[in-house]
Amino acid sequence: MLSYKQNPDPSGLHSRRMNRKKDKGFEICINNINFQRKSVIGYVELTIFPTVMNLNRIKLNSKQCRIYRVRVNDLEAPFIYNDPTLEVCHHESKQRNLNYFSSAYTAAVSAVDPDAGNGELSIKVPSELWKQGDEMKVMKVYIEFSLDQPKGGLHFVVPDVDGSMAERAAHVFSFGNQNSTRFWFPCVDSYSELCTWKLEFTVDASMVAVSCGDLVETVYTHDMRKKTFHYMLPIPTAAPNISLAVGPFEILVDPYMHEVTHFCLPQLLPLLKQTMSYLHEIFEFYEEILTCRYPYSCFKTVFVDEAYVQVSSYASMSIFSTNLLHSGMIIDQTPVTRRCLAQALAQQFFGCFISRMSWSDEWVLKGISGYIYGLYLKKTFGVNEYRHWIKEELDKIVEYELKMGGVLLHPTFSGGKEKDNPTPHLHFSIRHPHTLSWEYYKMFQCKAHLVMRLIENRISMEFMLQVFNKLLSLASTASSQKYQSHMWSQMLVSTSGFLKSISNVSGKDIGPLIKQWVDQSGVVKFFGSFAFNRKRNVLELEIRQDYTSSGTQKYVGPIKVTVQELDGSFNHTLQIEENSLKHDIPCHSKSRRNKKKKIPLMNGEEVDMDLSAMDADSPLLWIRIDPDMSILRKVEFEQADFMWQYQLRFERDVVAQEEAISALEIFPTPASRLALTDILEQDQCFYKVRIQACFCLAKIANSMMSTWTGPPAMKSLFTRMFCCKSCPNIVKTNNFINFQSYFLQKTMPVAMALLRDVQNLCPKEVLNFILDLIKYNDNRKNKFSDNYYRAELIDALTNSLTPAISINNEVRTVDNLNTDVRLILEEITRFLNMEKLLPSYRNTITVSCLRAIRMLQKNGHIPSDPSLFKSYAQYGHFVDVRIAALEAVIDYTRGTHFVLTTNFLCLSFSMLGKLGPFSWSGIFFIFQLVCLLQRLGHNTISPNLMLIFSIYREVLHPSYVQKLFSFIIFIKERYSFTILTGKS
Amino acid sequence: MADSVVMGSGSFNSGSRSGSSKTSTSPTDNYQLARRRTLQVVVSSLLTECGFESAEKVAVETLTEMMQSYITEVGRCAKATCEHTARSTPTLSDVVVTLVEMGFNVDTLPVYAKRSQRMVITAPPVTNAPVVPKALMAGQKRTHPSYIPGHFPEFPDPHTYIKTPTFREPVSDYQVVREKAASQRRDVERALTRFMAKTGETQSLFKDDISAFPLISAKPSAIPYLSALLPSELELQSLEETDSSEQDDQTDTENNPSHIIQDDQSADKENVVLPPGGVVPTGKANEENMIDNPYLRPVKKPKVRRKK
Repeated sequence: MLSYKQNPDPSGLHSRRMNRKKDKGFEICINNINFQRKSVIGYVELTIFPTVMNLNRIKLNSKQCRIYRVRVNDLEAPFIYNDPTLEVCHHESKQRNLNYFSSAYTAAVSAVDPDAGNGELSIKVPSELWKQGDEMKVMKVYIEFSLDQPKGGLHFVVPDVDGSMAERAAHVFSFGNQNSTRFWFPCVDSYSELCTWKLEFTVDASMVAVSCGDLVETVYTHDMRKKTFHYMLPIPTAAPNISLAVGPFEILVDPYMHEVTHFCLPQLLPLLKQTMSYLHEIFEFYEEILTCRYPYSCFKTVFVDEAYVQVSSYASMSIFSTNLLHSGMIIDQTPVTRRCLAQALAQQFFGCFISRMSWSDEWVLKGISGYIYGLYLKKTFGVNEYRHWIKEELDKIVEYELKMGGVLLHPTFSGGKEKDNPTPHLHFSIRHPHTLSWEYYKMFQCKAHLVMRLIENRISMEFMLQVFNKLLSLASTASSQKYQSHMWSQMLVSTSGFLKSISNVSGKDIGPLIKQWVDQSGVVKFFGSFAFNRKRNVLELEIRQDYTSSGTQKYVGPIKVTVQELDGSFNHTLQIEENSLKHDIPCHSKSRRNKKKKIPLMNGEEVDMDLSAMDADSPLLWIRIDPDMSILRKVEFEQADFMWQYQLRFERDVVAQEEAISALEIFPTPASRLALTDILEQDQCFYKVRIQACFCLAKIANSMMSTWTGPPAMKSLFTRMFCCKSCPNIVKTNNFINFQSYFLQKTMPVAMALLRDVQNLCPKEVLNFILDLIKYNDNRKNKFSDNYYRAELIDALTNSLTPAISINNEVRTVDNLNTDVRLILEEITRFLNMEKLLPSYRNTITVSCLRAIRMLQKNGHIPSDPSLFKSYAQYGHFVDVRIAALEAVIDYTRGTHFVLTTNFLCLSFSMLGKLGPFSWSGIFFIFQLVCLLQRLGHNTISPNLMLIFSIYREVLHPSYVQKLFSFIIFIKERYSFTILTGKS
Repeated sequence: MADSVVMGSGSFNSGSRSGSSKTSTSPTDNYQLARRRTLQVVVSSLLTECGFESAEKVAVETLTEMMQSYITEVGRCAKATCEHTARSTPTLSDVVVTLVEMGFNVDTLPVYAKRSQRMVITAPPVTNAPVVPKALMAGQKRTHPSYIPGHFPEFPDPHTYIKTPTFREPVSDYQVVREKAASQRRDVERALTRFMAKTGETQSLFKDDISAFPLISAKPSAIPYLSALLPSELELQSLEETDSSEQDDQTDTENNPSHIIQDDQSADKENVVLPPGGVVPTGKANEENMIDNPYLRPVKKPKVRRKK
């Protein structure tokens, strides 16, 4: 188990920190947090070791803080504060387009980039100390600051109820995108500037302040009304990895690891206990595979409301969204939360403890933490789930890159000129984390861990883990050293260092791999087809590549092809070269099918197959290209429908099964139907494959509408699996002990509701079936909550809706309501009303009901009216409900052929202003809003870009311009918006 | 006769008892009244025979009661004697034995019966023999099965052994039960939500008919995550129900010995051996004190400022 080594802090209270020009130690003290006014007062003290002569200016990062005084070695020092991102483009400037803004914004961010030694706050060292500076003596910089209603960095949640702040569950926590610590205290906001920390927070006696490092002591103030939390972080840590959470938290010491403490908001302790009951397993797993102790002496998890992201990791603590908490009755949330915890913990090792040298080394950290997280997934959720996840991630990155252009993991920036942009295809600069689009960064992380997996394929997992272990042990040796020993740089990972230790450990040259996937952007796109030459008994495989379109690159090298023949499965490694497209693969078996013989599969299993479907002349059952996903690629392969069917039935790899299912969508034949039904029925088959098969079956059934025989697809299957033996129209009382069948039970009605008859209506039989499921749903004997199941039944009702036949655009009234719709509406009304009395977990049912009502409106069954959704979108509803309601509001604007104009944007912005105090969710909603507008068919945003910014400023603080900027980029990239420039 | 005088006090009581029953008019009572009246006539005539000219009503009643007791006793004993010899109908000899048993000289009986001055009493007015009330006829009276000889007593009235369920037989048909449970729940839910909708603010989907599908209006709450995350009382309740049965199972199968050791003993004995992380605390106060976690430590008092 865990017992942590306490690293002696050689420097005492004043610890040290390094920059290119100067080194610093850090002490931060926040002695007043006012929840009423949402303000913070404190001071910081930096200890600086000059590394150059003539240090007369010190630049620090600080945003939105009000700075009262700066003293250097007890001497008042003059300072200048200038944040160029406050006004990126000046109002009088003539150019008003995105490119201009983009370059101006990048320049502004560069101007305060701590890695380049810049900062918003420039302190002039008093001339009395210049001499001392020349002798490179220690300097102490003392800064008093305050924050008033911060719009970034710190988030206050103050519920509007009676009682003291603690009774109101008011809390505050730090957050931010990448290095955003400068939002809440002046610092050198860089991941490469390490120092040890002493942190002090004076808070109300009813509150707890949770921060990084060890809690040394808690002391009352003299009036006994407040207490001060003293924290020490002896491990050198970068400022962006420092965080704080203050609130009336309930405290849970982990029963398995007493060094680990969990915090949640009042009343949620039972959920916290349940949620955290398996954290120790994740700890054990990582410590075992990395053969390294968790680097910090303690770990804290804090669950906060209105969290910026679900998971954020900081040195020795993680801040989670409180919505991740769940009781033991909830099935669906449990794996999601476990994944979040595992991610957070992986980032503790790589990201917090080991930081990065520069922004271009970010991929190593994200890659390693993502990779070991993947190993955890494999161990906990199984190989199927892992392979499914890898395929999902691969599909995601491939789709993104093919659409948006390549994602470059390791950009090299030569010089400072914008002209040398390594990614000219992108409409934003990837030079700084703050100029990136969110979506790009998400894909960046995704690609990083996939590339780590490719490296693992090349050098083996054993070597991979050895490399990680080496990085960690070097770092932990360094962390216990004094600053003066100049060892701390070992705690920073760089691309070159990482590659070097790979080559040292494995002795293998992975240069080509790195060049292909790390130094170069883009993915590979393969097209494959084949012919069987009977005379030569040879498979003629043709693999073509598309490397001219955006986001692609040319691949030269080995590729694995697996051919399943009658005599067994054979792997072939082909060499993809410049000019050769065709590859001849000799077949091992003759096409003899008269002998009844079992067919050996790849995994050694031998099975009986009905071979009547296959081509009599060919021994080929199916062919797979790059089955191990060892290239970041998209493969479009052509093979006959029966081959896909064989692949679906008999290939044991879930990835192959999923590929076969998506391929079968275009083969609506009885044979495909049978193959899919068989898969659906097999309980050994991975449940996500079966779920996919449901939807494919629905599509096929719709294509085969005229020839379909028997009951609607999946109905008899569902009846057999989930209904009573004696009365097949009644579903069994719920018992969700078997999760696989639970997920299937949830999904099948949703897929069935997509069935359509000749009139393009949902068959009456299916609708009645779903209504019966709702009617007879009985959860009394179930150990688990059925809220997700009921929500999906409502989704099924939504799916069954088809446009109403409208006569002369008559107004929709109660009287002319279709009878089926009336039934559906009854159910939805009842569900939505019951939810007010007995709310479901995460209000899943309300969310589904809102979607259903919008769908009813959209299809013209009930009058289109956004007022209901507007009321649900208000601040004070659960966030999932608000999002669903806003989606519905946006959807409404399309139904009325709303033209997206400046006016509309003004309206939506002002609406958001009224939505409530949570500006971050406000941003998120604007985001949703415009994305949805686009999704709904608005191709052009034509307002003056500057106008958006000016409206935006009224709603939110200027420090968010960055966020809005990346969000507009996001819209542009995802939905290929044309953002026109307007004239003022 | 001397005997009967001794028992006078007892018969008085019974007389008053019968007197109290006079008010009732059921056929059985009528029959008994008639019989009693006959007995009274008998007693009176005997008294006349013995030379009494008049008697107090109480005395006559007492004698009647004694007479009735005597006859009843004779009958009861005769029946017992007869059953003792494994028969069902008493014969003359049974009566004789009984009378002998009771200390009566049987030989005097014929003489007494043939005495000259005896009075003949008219037969009691024919009152209808008490009819067994029809109301209690439940089902067919059962005849003896073939293996029971006919001389055995008949089965008692069916109502004495046939159970007449006072509740309706529970519906055991699964389909009907489910159907019922479902519609019941739906009705309750609908009624409840309608009620809530009628008594509170609502939102409507239709402009023309606001009452058609009333939706309880959405009210923002100050702390929305609480209701969304915490399980509702209903769910907690059902969880407890399922849990209790679940736990029973678990104690049998899953509670492996290591668990028990950790729970109970490790806190005291194994703490030294195990690293602190290995102990599962059970939430006991004393044990929690042993966990060394900085957040559980007491808050320190501020240091007193040094006065210079």
